[in-house]
Amino acid sequence: MVINNIAENTKKLGAKQTRGETRMNIIACYKIVPDEKDIQVRSDRSISIDKAEWVIGQYDLNAVEAAMQIYEAVGGKVTALSVGDRQLENSKLKKGVLSRGPQELFLVIDEALSGADTNLTARALAAAARKIGFDLIICGEGSQDLYSQQVGIQLGQILNVPTLNAVSRIVAENGKLIVERSLEDEVEVLEVSLPAVISVTTDINQPRIASMKDILAAGKKPVTQWSLADVGLNDANRRTEILYTLAPEQAERKRIILEGESEEVLDKFYELLRKAI
Amino acid sequence: MSSEIKVWIIAEKPQGTAELIAGAKNFTDNVTALVIGPQERAEQAVRLGAGKVYWLGEAGPGMMWEDYTDTILSLLQQENPALMLVHATKRGKLLAGRLAANLGTTVLTDVMELTWEVDRFKATRRVYGGSAVRQERALTGTTIATVGSGVFTPLPEEAGRTGTIIEVPFVEPKIRIKLVEKKKRETVSVNLPAAKRIVCVGRGLARQEDLGLVEELARLLEAEMACTRPIAEGLNWMPRERYIGVSGAMVKPDLYLALGVSGQIQHMVGANQSRTIAAVNTDKAAPIFNQADYGIVGDLKKIVPALIARFKAE
Ligand SMILES: Cc1cc2nc3c(=O)[nH]c(=O)nc-3n(C[C@H](O)[C@H](O)[C@H](O)COP(=O)(O)OP(=O)(O)OC[C@H]3O[C@@H](n4cnc5c(N)ncnc54)[C@H](O)[C@@H]3O)c2cc1C
Ligand SMILES: Nc1ncnc2c1ncn2[C@@H]1O[C@H](COP(=O)(O)O)[C@@H](O)[C@H]1O
Repeated sequence: MVINNIAENTKKLGAKQTRGETRMNIIACYKIVPDEKDIQVRSDRSISIDKAEWVIGQYDLNAVEAAMQIYEAVGGKVTALSVGDRQLENSKLKKGVLSRGPQELFLVIDEALSGADTNLTARALAAAARKIGFDLIICGEGSQDLYSQQVGIQLGQILNVPTLNAVSRIVAENGKLIVERSLEDEVEVLEVSLPAVISVTTDINQPRIASMKDILAAGKKPVTQWSLADVGLNDANRRTEILYTLAPEQAERKRIILEGESEEVLDKFYELLRKAI
Repeated sequence: MSSEIKVWIIAEKPQGTAELIAGAKNFTDNVTALVIGPQERAEQAVRLGAGKVYWLGEAGPGMMWEDYTDTILSLLQQENPALMLVHATKRGKLLAGRLAANLGTTVLTDVMELTWEVDRFKATRRVYGGSAVRQERALTGTTIATVGSGVFTPLPEEAGRTGTIIEVPFVEPKIRIKLVEKKKRETVSVNLPAAKRIVCVGRGLARQEDLGLVEELARLLEAEMACTRPIAEGLNWMPRERYIGVSGAMVKPDLYLALGVSGQIQHMVGANQSRTIAAVNTDKAAPIFNQADYGIVGDLKKIVPALIARFKAE
């Protein structure tokens, strides 16, 4: 059945299967990130995220939505999962993710996970996912801050299950998935056995907007918080070392901004453009 | 240059192979190319400068390129090269991630610059949507890095170059994903980085029908059309090849005219090398005005026709 079209799915489902056979335990992985708009650049071009508001990665909302659409088609459960440092304790962000549908939230919070590389993040997620149990894990296309497009892939491989990136369509069928994968110049249709880990594209769906009711309901959903020790991960060593993080040098701009749509203003803007070409 | 360091490269397409071999030759004479495809591609890799080619054969019908992951992994484990460069296509990213997870390492992704110091590779990349550049290095045995197109310039093919081509037997994958079907995708070829003038539309363009108007302006300006990511992915009003930004094209035209573009860092990092940046936006507080040379606060639906009329009158 096509996850993007719930009405059609439900119809097909009723004819062929009983709900019990197709129910899926789905984990949706999301990362919280400092809003890049709030990043401050110091005079030596080093950057500070101390004043930044933390938000849910834009592209991880597609992962949560993809999980919800499968759940709404075949039943089962959607669990949200994130690993990171104490920023994850932010209750607005917890509600933010739960208000988009997942029934339960698991967090692995440990200072050792602050600014983790993709390897450590994937190992922490793998340890948590094993403890939670799953048929399918869905990741976003990339995290908003690092956009390595790696965590989902590495997670699948660490868990030793089929793993795919660039998935742009999902059809859940008889305990397996038929997916479309959008590559640079072709689209692959693939059959994936479960359990599996897939990373979805940003155009797989339109993430839903939470209503006031959803936000209120989110506050009552169960949240479990673990440390790395709780999930049995003892080696929190990094495989990479960060040598520096600096803001790029910025070109000075003239910043001549005109206001209004009068003929005079338009003439002026036209003249400025003409001179630039 | 040292012939001690072993650098391996793999790319889906010949162009990628050519670029990565050239990149690898910055560090060593000891370049090994892994080739999946017809034997001619293995021979071409030698002409491009690979001293050794592991030729993995041609993927048969029903096979995925990524089915070679286990074959490549066993080669890596036997020979432990210092660096494995993977061309940063979607398939390349999947391969790189699976190899790294198996080797217990990480992937240095979308590398912009690579240097070798003492005993390690250092790589720079963009982080925080382009707000910053980060240099990092891998601390484990083999460094795995993905590099996109345009970072390294291919060397010309030379018939005189010699190298060994070694045929590698296929290792049956432990995990298999069944390929049901492949469909060609329409792609457009557009060279935005070479454009002298660019007219870029963002979500301020409320309706797809209004694209015609913008195209007319672009024609008059002899400009290429470009867009922000949501216009290409999500709305699908323009092909992906035309979006500018950290995950799209990096451009440096003489004039970059933004229409209904808010100016988020992920987009602007692709455009801020432009000589002149001009912007039309209804919101006086839009971030793009802080990064523009010339701006006009107003509705593009009024301003674009007014500009068209003026350029036509020339
Ligand atoms: C990891 C990651 C990578 C990304 N990579 C890219 C990338 O490579 N490229 C990219 O573009 N984006 C990228 N993005 C998305 C980026 O963050 C922004 O969401 C996007 O660039 C915004 O596009 P926009 O300016 O078209 O839309 P919006 O931000 O919605 O802005 C629309 C603008 O139009 C103005 N407007 C509205 N009506 C009118 C009118 N009638 N006339 C004139 N102006 C009007 C509004 O005031 C507003 O400023 C990425 C995001 C993430 C998380
Ligand atoms: N700390 C994290 N916690 C949970 N999920 C994550 C985390 N980091 C990354 N992910 C997931 O992995 C995807 C790819 O991340 P990245 O490799 O960092 O681009 C994201 O879109 C998320 O779905």
